[in-house]
Amino acid sequence: MSLAMQRRRATAARVGKQFRDSRSGMIGLGILAVFVVMALAAPLLADANQLNPVFARNAGNPQWATPGEFGPLGTDHIRRSVWAQFVWGSRVSLFVGLAATVLTILIGSVIGIVSGFFGRRTDAVLMRLTEWFLVIPFLPLAIVLASVLGRSVWNIIFVIGITSWPSTARLVRAQVLTVKQRLFVDRAKSLGAGGPHIVARHILPNVSGLILANATLAVPVSILTETTLAFLGLGDPASASWGKTLEEAFANGAMIRNAWWYFVPAGLGILAVVLAFTLVGRTLEEIANPRLGGDR
Amino acid sequence: MSEPLLSLEDLTITYHTSSGPVPAVRGVSLYLARGGSLGLAGESGCGKSTLANSLLRLLPSGTDVSGRIRLDGNDVLDLSPGRLRAVRWTAGAIIFQGALHALNPVQTVGEQIAEPLLVHEILDSRQVARSRAAELLERVGMPAARANSYPHQLSGGQRQRVLIAMALACDPLLLIADEPTTALDLMVQAQVLALLEELRRERDLTLLFITHDLSVLTYICEDLAVMYAGRIVEHGPSGKVFADGAHPYTRALSAAFPTIGDPAARMAPSGLGGDPPTPGNLPVGCPFHPRCPLAEERCLVAEPELRPAGPDRGAACILV
Amino acid sequence: MKRGRGRLVLRKVLGSLLTLVFVLVFNFVLFRIVETDPVASLFRGRNIPAERLEELRAEFGLDQPLGTQFVFYMRETFQLNLGISYQSRQPVWDEIRSRIPATLALVGSSAVFSALIGTIGGVIAAWRRNTWKDHSITSGTMLFYSMPDFWLGMILLVAFAVVLGWFPVGGIVDLGSTAGGLELLLDQLHHMFLPALTLTLAYLGEYTLVTRSSLLDVMGEDYLTVARAKGLRDVMVRNRHAVPNALLPVVTLLAINFGFILSGAIAVEAVFSWPGLGKATADAIRGPDLPMLQGLFLLFSSAVIFFNLIADLAYSWLDPRVETA
Repeated sequence: MSLAMQRRRATAARVGKQFRDSRSGMIGLGILAVFVVMALAAPLLADANQLNPVFARNAGNPQWATPGEFGPLGTDHIRRSVWAQFVWGSRVSLFVGLAATVLTILIGSVIGIVSGFFGRRTDAVLMRLTEWFLVIPFLPLAIVLASVLGRSVWNIIFVIGITSWPSTARLVRAQVLTVKQRLFVDRAKSLGAGGPHIVARHILPNVSGLILANATLAVPVSILTETTLAFLGLGDPASASWGKTLEEAFANGAMIRNAWWYFVPAGLGILAVVLAFTLVGRTLEEIANPRLGGDR
Repeated sequence: MSEPLLSLEDLTITYHTSSGPVPAVRGVSLYLARGGSLGLAGESGCGKSTLANSLLRLLPSGTDVSGRIRLDGNDVLDLSPGRLRAVRWTAGAIIFQGALHALNPVQTVGEQIAEPLLVHEILDSRQVARSRAAELLERVGMPAARANSYPHQLSGGQRQRVLIAMALACDPLLLIADEPTTALDLMVQAQVLALLEELRRERDLTLLFITHDLSVLTYICEDLAVMYAGRIVEHGPSGKVFADGAHPYTRALSAAFPTIGDPAARMAPSGLGGDPPTPGNLPVGCPFHPRCPLAEERCLVAEPELRPAGPDRGAACILV
Repeated sequence: MKRGRGRLVLRKVLGSLLTLVFVLVFNFVLFRIVETDPVASLFRGRNIPAERLEELRAEFGLDQPLGTQFVFYMRETFQLNLGISYQSRQPVWDEIRSRIPATLALVGSSAVFSALIGTIGGVIAAWRRNTWKDHSITSGTMLFYSMPDFWLGMILLVAFAVVLGWFPVGGIVDLGSTAGGLELLLDQLHHMFLPALTLTLAYLGEYTLVTRSSLLDVMGEDYLTVARAKGLRDVMVRNRHAVPNALLPVVTLLAINFGFILSGAIAVEAVFSWPGLGKATADAIRGPDLPMLQGLFLLFSSAVIFFNLIADLAYSWLDPRVETA
């Protein structure tokens, strides 16, 4: 095994141990595991047909049934099972949250690395762009873009990704600048190594820990944004995320009827998942940047 | 003979850290008469700063402090919080090390010097306190107008002078200087030392001067005590201890620091090899034996007590 | 010293203006891409003869080249002529302007309360680090911060307005009420309580977190030990030395958040039917009422740019360490 691989193995083992030592991190991971399993095992946990209002009517489901009267979580205004919506909704919410974050991290990392690596003009221009995106209020921008682009899952992912990258870009750029100052980049250059080689071999490994922590902390933002956009009516009409459930509950009078079973579970789901990612993300952040540890 | 201004009896200080208890000071006893000047020397980690902070009970809560500290007739460890606050800065004041961090960045230096005057109600008007602060600045060799500057606007030497002015604000009986000249260049060091000596004589101050640079101490202190691994390993008149140390550590320390302004000594440095022991992990027997040129097998048996090594002198080495 | 500071202010103001110009360009381009025929959208569903539509297009300058249209747009925008709302057929600026006070009242008061409560919570949590006080404050605020703000609103609404009936279920005044003066104000406050509570709870976490970590950073500093050595009481050390240093990032945060005031409550206003800019945005989305969305976006962005500038200048004024060169 090469020396570099050995070191990477050792680092991974060390990170793993540190993570296991963190109680909050493990709790977060546990919650995440539960929801990921639920999302993946959706077909086993709830009948997808229960999401179809026609099927629900034909099956004779009652309207607005409380959890006591029907299924684990009752029914909604068009007789669909709320439990089914909860289980299947987790898929969309998690998927959009993760995909949007991947896009955010990709864009942010590329811009951060390019900006930090090439410096000067490129850096100045990209940083101006980043600043501009940071100043623009996030939600209105997302609303405007979503209104303009139309309501589909991929558009939402794109919108969230394209409005959230600035903080990642800044973080990555700062790291790249730090790494650039270190000796071994100069040494690699003097050995005749080219740009991409330097990036891959030296910059990426040093930056990746921080990126991972940042990504994990960015997922909650993506999920909450998708939820809000869906609630405002900008979600994909075909797919049923937790945000969409909340929108339908609100629009169809669940609150006046005190049909709490309709909107409370979806919100709790979001709360749990967001909390989980936050706990895991903060733990990773502490590991990647030991200076932060001990006070949290 | 009147009671010493400061007396420490069997002072033991143990920190509680996440990796277990750390004994920073282990059974230190010393006495400082009124008007006297004692230098406390040792490398980092020997416990001298901990000791200095303990005199005004400034250690983090949860730290174990046992033994006795008597300052101006007060049993410091036994004082009520109210009495303790009254004693602080008036009976004894500390010139802290690391001047930039010892000053509040968002307050002017004048405000910081004037603060204890108002807190102890020595003066009750802000105006009068400010002008007293300006006077103090002038006494330490800075223009009074500097009172309106912020710490980051001053040079290292100036900040050190501010700390001195601040320490003098309430006319303390005891002045504790914790590494006041470290990180200053030699010229400024000499100026600061001269200033301290002047002030000491002028106000009849009692001085406890802490440093790792032995040569500095001989200039300004009558007596000298050397600390190692939380204990005093030698004490006596400063000139004699520096020139002819009884303990091997003292001799090595003296050799490591040339006298200020002596070019010859700088050409032939003799360093002290190895590192001081970590307080939680002391060697068996005499803690100095791993680095001692004269170490024998007997040195591993037990930690030596202080033995007389001449008139008014003592050293903790079996070879004395 | 004065000159350096003047130059600094000028630089920052110019920077902000530049950003504003970017926003205007973005706004123009985006909506031009989407809406190729605003006149048709404006009069959709109405029976207007084709020649009349052509006349209107000429009036609005829509037959001109894009560059001219942009100049036209900039000129109109500076005169606060932001177009006509598709849904109400009224001038966008009038619609927006009438809704500003409601949002200002709601989000303004929430911002003040969340800043106050959050900061105090953060100070206590940091000063009593790792005690039950710290853990409960930190966990509590993290919990509220992790939930969708409008969902919290829904729960509070159902619990306190629907079930308990202590508060109205929406709006700003009781329908059909003819009250005036103090009675009207009390009615409005009664209606504002739940949405304000929602926003306060949802956003105080930010202040708690920032204050706590800022104070923790400061607590390790030597000048606090020095303050204790001078004989200050613990509370005085905290309030006179620790907190002023710790508050610098919080002040910046507060100023920045004020910028987000106008856009901060879109979903919550929708839940409580609070007649402010947020609800206007939610309604405009349903159209989509593009001129309204465009106008609202411009207003929101301008507010943020403006308050970011204030925050920047305030920080450099408060922290004596910031260079003026």
